[in-house]
Amino acid sequence: MNAFQLYFRLIHISLLSRMQYRANFLVGLLGLIVWNLVNLGLIGILVTQFTSLKDWTLWELVFLYCLWILGHSLYALFFSHTDQMETYLIEGTFDQFLLRPASPLIQVLGREFQYLEIADALFALTGLGLAYTHLGLRWDGWHWGFFVIAVMSGAVIMFALNLLIACTAFWTGRSRGAAFVAGQFYGLVQWYPIEIFGKTFRVIVTGFLPVAFINYYPSLLLLNKLDRADSAWWLSLLSPLVALLLVGIVSGVWRLALNRYSSSGS
Amino acid sequence: MKVFLAFARQSFHSIAIYRFDFWLRVSTVLILMYSIRWVWVALYTQRPGAFGASLEQMITYGVLSMAIENLFYSFGVQYYMSQQVRSGAIDVDLLKPLDFHFHMLARNTGQMLFRLFIMILPAILCGYLFFGLRPPATPLAGFQFALALFIGYLVGFHLEFLLGSIALVTLDIHSIDWAFNALLRFFSGQLVPIWLFPGPLGTLASLLPFRALFATPLSIYTGLLNGEAIINAVGLQLFWLAALVLLSRWFWNRIQARIISQGG
Repeated sequence: MNAFQLYFRLIHISLLSRMQYRANFLVGLLGLIVWNLVNLGLIGILVTQFTSLKDWTLWELVFLYCLWILGHSLYALFFSHTDQMETYLIEGTFDQFLLRPASPLIQVLGREFQYLEIADALFALTGLGLAYTHLGLRWDGWHWGFFVIAVMSGAVIMFALNLLIACTAFWTGRSRGAAFVAGQFYGLVQWYPIEIFGKTFRVIVTGFLPVAFINYYPSLLLLNKLDRADSAWWLSLLSPLVALLLVGIVSGVWRLALNRYSSSGS
Repeated sequence: MKVFLAFARQSFHSIAIYRFDFWLRVSTVLILMYSIRWVWVALYTQRPGAFGASLEQMITYGVLSMAIENLFYSFGVQYYMSQQVRSGAIDVDLLKPLDFHFHMLARNTGQMLFRLFIMILPAILCGYLFFGLRPPATPLAGFQFALALFIGYLVGFHLEFLLGSIALVTLDIHSIDWAFNALLRFFSGQLVPIWLFPGPLGTLASLLPFRALFATPLSIYTGLLNGEAIINAVGLQLFWLAALVLLSRWFWNRIQARIISQGG
């Protein structure tokens, strides 16, 4: 069995165990949709009362928000179990992944398929579609190709960053805290175009925690806003490169982390 | 008062253990204060003095709303109640020679006092120093703000107590609490002041109790409410408080008999 087959087999098992709770599933789906509507509703009220947020109109902001949600939902569907790393390390249960003759990472990821995120993905696609029509966008083949690549890069960036943060637990014993602080930055980049913030913030979310490449920079290109933005135009094209670079970094760190691992025993 | 201080002391000890989490929450508040300031700056370059509020007033409103957030959101009493029912420990609480509703209020308020001194006041100080937070419009407004904030806290507590009571029947807190948080986020005026809400949404926001938490105290502090308007707003807060206290007592007495204690 190769890695992919193994992964999907594990996912299948975790899905079967989850589907026992059908009511939770429906409530959860509804919950995610209402939560997104509340967020967009708040942004919507702000922007309609003030006509725009530094050149960003309502539907452009919807596009920005939904582009994030779409990339994030792909990440969360398949890879979100990395946030449990700390628990495995503290309880010493990480040992189980090393004992079996298969990649530890595949085993960790296969633990969970966040099927609720399908609601997020559908919401994002609807939002992007509405924004596309309301903004009267006309993408050619290149734009569509770039859009697909940007979404996938977004998912990979999210995955690599969260795995990197989770890996800090191998050294410090804790990672949930760092994830929590990073989450604040994620929330802001998801909601607002980063150009409204100060320079420090823009540098952080571009260079150190490069989440602006998930939605902001690709949006500049996809919404034809390149000429009006403060940033260099080529940043908009960089999302796939950032994703590749992060994957390179995280695979090195993951290997180091596994070498470093010593069970907490229990 | 002694009961309140005892609970405050207890939560001081528990925070000493979770010092790391404490720093996290502080840094979160700082990031939020930083960002909300920029959002209002960006919006006000479009329409200076929009809706009768100056940029300074709006920054003060926004930064302060982030600073006082930890007064309300704390995985409070509703989580405690549902946890006690799940573990079966609720029967110990019920055996205590202390009215349960008062016990919960004391517990929550003790923890709130602790958070007030250790998180909220330092956050407000940082707001003054770094994020453009201004002092209250008048000294009197500062006093009225403190009063309205305290009433807002009590309204928030009783909403949570009601949620917790419902959770004792349904045995699940998460989905209910989740819906509550969504409503609170939208209608409390924390992120978007409710005077910006268009037509029917604005009416709905003013009819719901959630604005007692953020919108009322913050509007008083910034001087957006004056004279008689303050008395009306605080009066409305007190009306909600009274209604929620009565509702909580009534509901609690009804379900107390129905509590299922699990295991033990």
